[in-house]
Amino acid sequence: MHAFLSGISLVCFVASYAVALALEASRPLFRSAVRSMLLVGFAAAGLLAHSLFLGWRAVTEPAVPLSSPFDWYLLAAWLLAAGYLWLTLANPRTPVGLFLLPVILLLVGAAQLSSRAPFPQNPATQAWGVIHGIFNLAASVSVALGAVAGLMWLIQAGRLARKRAPLQGFRMPSLERLAAITARSPGIAAWTAAAGFASGMVLNAVNKQRGLLETVPWTDPVVLRMGALVVWLIVADALAHAVRRRPDGGRLTAWLALVSLGVLTASILWGLFGATRHGVPPTRPAPAAIDEAAA
Amino acid sequence: MTLALVGGTHRTVPLDLRERLAFSAEQAAEALTRFRDRFPGSEGVLLSTCNRVEFYAAAVDAAPPPAEQIVCFLAECRGIDASLLVPVLSREHDEAVVRHLFSVTSGLDSMVLGEPQILAQVKQAWALAQESRTGGPLTGEMFQAALRTAKRVTTETALGRERISIPSVAVADFASGVFERFDDKRVVLLGAGKMAAETLRYLRAAGARDVTVLNRTAGRAVELAARLGARPGRFEELSGELAIADLVISTTGATEPLVTLDLFRQVEPAREGRPLVVLDLAVPRDFDPRIGSLPGVWLYAIDDLAAACAANRTRRQREMPAALAIVDEETRRFMGDLHHRSTAPVIEQLKAGWSETGEAELTRLFRRLPELEAAEQAEIRQAFERYAAKLLHPPLASLRNESRSGPPHGLLDALKRLFDLQD
Repeated sequence: MHAFLSGISLVCFVASYAVALALEASRPLFRSAVRSMLLVGFAAAGLLAHSLFLGWRAVTEPAVPLSSPFDWYLLAAWLLAAGYLWLTLANPRTPVGLFLLPVILLLVGAAQLSSRAPFPQNPATQAWGVIHGIFNLAASVSVALGAVAGLMWLIQAGRLARKRAPLQGFRMPSLERLAAITARSPGIAAWTAAAGFASGMVLNAVNKQRGLLETVPWTDPVVLRMGALVVWLIVADALAHAVRRRPDGGRLTAWLALVSLGVLTASILWGLFGATRHGVPPTRPAPAAIDEAAA
Repeated sequence: MTLALVGGTHRTVPLDLRERLAFSAEQAAEALTRFRDRFPGSEGVLLSTCNRVEFYAAAVDAAPPPAEQIVCFLAECRGIDASLLVPVLSREHDEAVVRHLFSVTSGLDSMVLGEPQILAQVKQAWALAQESRTGGPLTGEMFQAALRTAKRVTTETALGRERISIPSVAVADFASGVFERFDDKRVVLLGAGKMAAETLRYLRAAGARDVTVLNRTAGRAVELAARLGARPGRFEELSGELAIADLVISTTGATEPLVTLDLFRQVEPAREGRPLVVLDLAVPRDFDPRIGSLPGVWLYAIDDLAAACAANRTRRQREMPAALAIVDEETRRFMGDLHHRSTAPVIEQLKAGWSETGEAELTRLFRRLPELEAAEQAEIRQAFERYAAKLLHPPLASLRNESRSGPPHGLLDALKRLFDLQD
């Protein structure tokens, strides 16, 4: 069993998701009685392998479970994959995977490029670290879902404006439903991102006060990018509220959701390739460690 | 020949003659009873719809009634001069009958390609034949196979998926693309056109409850609202109704647009950005087409919907080759089974003969070897049976293969002569 679980790699679920994506893309090309079954089968197999992979890491890693940037991206991808499977089972004729699966695969790609080392921890600040991570995760998932719904809104509106009947196997949800998701996502994303940022500040302050771990300066790229993301999401939410009663409110909100995903992506890329003190082990030993060494 | 078909459709029989030839359910039952008395030993199924009257006849051990007799029989049942029917009713035999029935049941021969009602009508026709005791094993298998074929065509092709009537396209492809649900939407019906009522029927099925009818003639609005289970409104309050409507269906006979761009611009602020779907089914149009370019307004004129219907019809046509391939495959399978079944008496004789010979040899052998125990005798018996089965397998497999391409008369004759089998 150990050998089986430890043998599950990123390739297992990436391949399953990729096959599911190819099957989704084939919807308008030809009809098939077995495609839905295959699609759900590959998505479920991918999600199972994904879950086992995360579960194995949570059990075997010595630190707090899933506390590295690598795990964080995979957890975000897992949440979206679970959402995708649920939506596909509930609405088998809607090609939601065509929009969600690329985001999931990009998140797994980002995980592959990021560090597998857990963020440095101290029992005194562990709870704040978990809160910080959960809020940031919720904000990212909310932005991604909002952007997917926004893109689907624009495609559906384009089809309705061109007065074309839906393509075979490519029936989108209604504008009303998609607009409801895009309208809610900036608010949820803004509040959770703000909470994530605030909990990060608390975490940093506690570290600094107690001299536990390396603190992150205000000028650190991660602080700047997260700050910029929070500001943008608050602005986007305010704009979404402002245009709510305009006839073109649905379209503007859809675009806002897409821009939010762009800002989030830029933020992630900045985090992946920029120099930062965020999540870096301390360069000097913590006072507790010095005391222990002296003893 | 075991299967025969005599019938006419909208393509071959003029409407006035088709109307006279059509059978009601009672008339069909009566005709089938008469058929049973007239042609004992034959099976018969009568399919009568708006667009076709077809009589399927079959006989297991003999030929079914000749086509000319069936034509005369149908003419007699409906009191029509048979000479009128002779030139317009087509006649088919055997495989062509099966292929035709499979196509008809799958909606491939319908006036509206892929329409699903024919399936229910075929089921009813078969049920009536059973009740009238004219349905038999052969027609039973053929009709069951036809229903299976129709199911395959429905699930394996998109033939029946695309909507092709204007009201259904308007609601399912466009209004449902904008709104998730209709039970909380306000629908306004402008005018009293027949298509508006039909569109409203689809909207009701989708959940629409709040419907207001506006008509220039107040009495007509009240009457129409009562008939449609809607609320009558005052035509003078058109602007107010537009301000609160989510969906407007318009079918007035007005010669100028009722809702101009200026009028709509005045109404627009009161709408507070809510989307509006307009199904303008009137000719000339009731809504200025420029309104459709305003954000939040989804305006569909009759031509837009007709174009979408035409596109859907083309898509249905594209599914025809796949549907015909299924019909062809199922027809070959059915005919193969039918032909193979005709070999059953020969096969049974052949098996019985071998079994009899084997049993005689075993009896002789066991008499010579009395020391054999029961278990040993059983082993030897099994070996004999296996040997016989293996020897019989190649000729039986050849018979089955030959049946796929038609009745295997040649092989049957050869077997009869080789093994001295009696007819």
